Amino acid sequence: MTLRVLVVEDDREIRTLMQSSLSVEGFEVQTAVTLSEAMALLRHSPPDVIVLDLGLPDGDGLQLVREVRRQQSVPIIVVSARHQEAQKIELLDAGADDYLTKPFSVGELLARIRVALRHRGTALAAAVTVHELDDLRIDLAAHAVQRAGAPVHLTPTEFKLLARLVRSAGRVVTHRQLLADVWGPEYTEHTHYLRLYMGQLRAKIERDPAEPRHLLTETGVGYRLASD
Amino acid sequence: MDRSKTPTISSLRHWGIVIGLLSLATIVGLLLEPYVSLTSQAMIYVLVVVLAAYKLEWIESAVCAVGAVTALNFFFVPPRWTFEVESQEHFIALTTMLVVALVISRLASGLRRETEVARLNEQRARQLQALATELSSVTTPQQVQTLGRSALDAAFAGPNALVLADSIEGLARAEGLAPAVLDGMRCCMKESAVLGPGTGRWPGLDAWYLPLGGREQVSGAACVRPALAADEEGREHAQALCALLAQALWRLRLTTSMLAAQGEAQRQQLQSTFLAAISHDLRTPLAAIVGAASALQTQHEKLGPTEQKRLLDSIASEASYLNAITENTLQLVRLASPGLVLRRDWESMEEIVGAVLARMRPHDPDHRIRASVPEGLPLVKGDPVLLSQLVGNLLDNALKHGEGTIDLTVSAQPQQIQLCVADHGPGIAPAEQEDIFKPYARGDRSGRRGAGLGLAVCRAIAQAHGGRLTLQSRVGEGSVFCLVLPLDVPQPVPELP
Repeated sequence: MTLRVLVVEDDREIRTLMQSSLSVEGFEVQTAVTLSEAMALLRHSPPDVIVLDLGLPDGDGLQLVREVRRQQSVPIIVVSARHQEAQKIELLDAGADDYLTKPFSVGELLARIRVALRHRGTALAAAVTVHELDDLRIDLAAHAVQRAGAPVHLTPTEFKLLARLVRSAGRVVTHRQLLADVWGPEYTEHTHYLRLYMGQLRAKIERDPAEPRHLLTETGVGYRLASD
Repeated sequence: MDRSKTPTISSLRHWGIVIGLLSLATIVGLLLEPYVSLTSQAMIYVLVVVLAAYKLEWIESAVCAVGAVTALNFFFVPPRWTFEVESQEHFIALTTMLVVALVISRLASGLRRETEVARLNEQRARQLQALATELSSVTTPQQVQTLGRSALDAAFAGPNALVLADSIEGLARAEGLAPAVLDGMRCCMKESAVLGPGTGRWPGLDAWYLPLGGREQVSGAACVRPALAADEEGREHAQALCALLAQALWRLRLTTSMLAAQGEAQRQQLQSTFLAAISHDLRTPLAAIVGAASALQTQHEKLGPTEQKRLLDSIASEASYLNAITENTLQLVRLASPGLVLRRDWESMEEIVGAVLARMRPHDPDHRIRASVPEGLPLVKGDPVLLSQLVGNLLDNALKHGEGTIDLTVSAQPQQIQLCVADHGPGIAPAEQEDIFKPYARGDRSGRRGAGLGLAVCRAIAQAHGGRLTLQSRVGEGSVFCLVLPLDVPQPVPELP
């Protein structure tokens, strides 16, 4: 079964480029120029992934993310310019899965789509419990973290934070989501907790904390646990 | 200066002085009677008349003179205690004395008036001089207004008023003035002439209304009281004060418009060099992209696979360079906009460096950048996107302009945190060290690529965070750029649940 991607983008060149490069990879590509067109397509034939550009002529996409999240768990990847930080975070917090900053390469787009599809349906199916990359192994069920075969001791909060990232491995998790899930909804403004705990976690599991391999910073947005 | 008490009280006092002086002369004359002759007693009266003439008005001193002669006649000239005059000689003496007394009092009061006028004129001249000195150093119209009001109040009893207004309509904004006063001001501004007693215009008014400035440039109006038709010198003084104020306002206006013109010229100059430089910076990579793409289009079959790959790589790298220029240009415009609000949050320098390194590594295949970030650095309150752009620009420059390793070090000091990027490039000559931070300050940058804008953005970001960006460089040895951020906000309390 071919996977279906819905590309919502108003610029013709970028739309054509995405369409051709995704078709080459074997995806069935649908395109929409406006949000209303995208909504119509969604109702007609639900896609497996949505690539959504910010700054469409008829709205900022928030409405579409809410509409989709009401019934479906289709992954949504937001495409934004660098200065659209606030909008991007708003969409991620509303339930979008990941983002890409313009200009991006085709390789980056494909990688994001791959990660998004891997997580598809995890809300229903049994969650990922083991994460392995390079010399790092995290087993959520066994509460165990190993670096180069040696066990790493984590405090309960450190483990909770890491586990939250493992469950979204490869995808960005916003500051707000992390704070709400690890500390509780009333702590969503306490970003300094994240800075301090991330520092401690990196010191324990990264070979070079100043240039992390696993716990990646998405500047101004959140964190991402590397998955490849 | 000529502030007098109410006329009735003052004249009553004067008449009291007349009576007092005459009584005093009579008592002294009576007391000295055993020792002196009538001539000396007459001289005492003459003395009193002179004193009165010097101190009092002409009419009072004249009455005093008549009174003195009468008293001398009554008390001392035989037959005493009568107004009769016995001998012809005494009659002549009394008449002469009356004439002498009147002449003296006339002369003395004239002299007194002249002295007073001279003193008043001198005071007024001194006030004008002082006001001119004070006005020469004012910088705002408000200061002119304050000085003008106090000068008017010092010179005239008042109530006085002074309003600054560029136009007659502007008067409407003046607060706390009676409608009649505003009417007078409006009229004198419209006619550009003094109104009020003695001016031939609206002589029935109780005040003078004076415009500030002439017909071409009216900058306000004054209302001065008391205004007497005969007091020409007072009116001239008020006009002189107003002329000084108008001059000061005119000078201020000239200075402002001159500065504005200078600023505008500078801005246009900057904008045109900026545009020229940025179009150069945009055109160069565009030319490379168009060249490579068209070569692939037209000569596709003739090019070998290595050649094709080289052209494609060049398109990708030139495009990413264009992207960097665009980001920096936009950021500079945003940082220069007056309503800029930073999205400041608690950030860790380790994370910012890590994120930038992750982005830079593809452009640094030989791992020339060596980062050293100590553990447990304090957090900084900053905009993470801007700070990453700053660090990225510094590393980008170092990669482009230098050879060999690049050292990125972060260190914490008591009140600040410092991030330094040291390269082993050609270095920057002392004369150019300040210029490279200015956005395209140098007109000619041919041959070198957009470094100027990147550093301008870096400095703007540092300053927006209350920090600074410094440079130490020696030609032939390399350059060290350091970002210093203040740690002025107390660190967040690390009591974590």
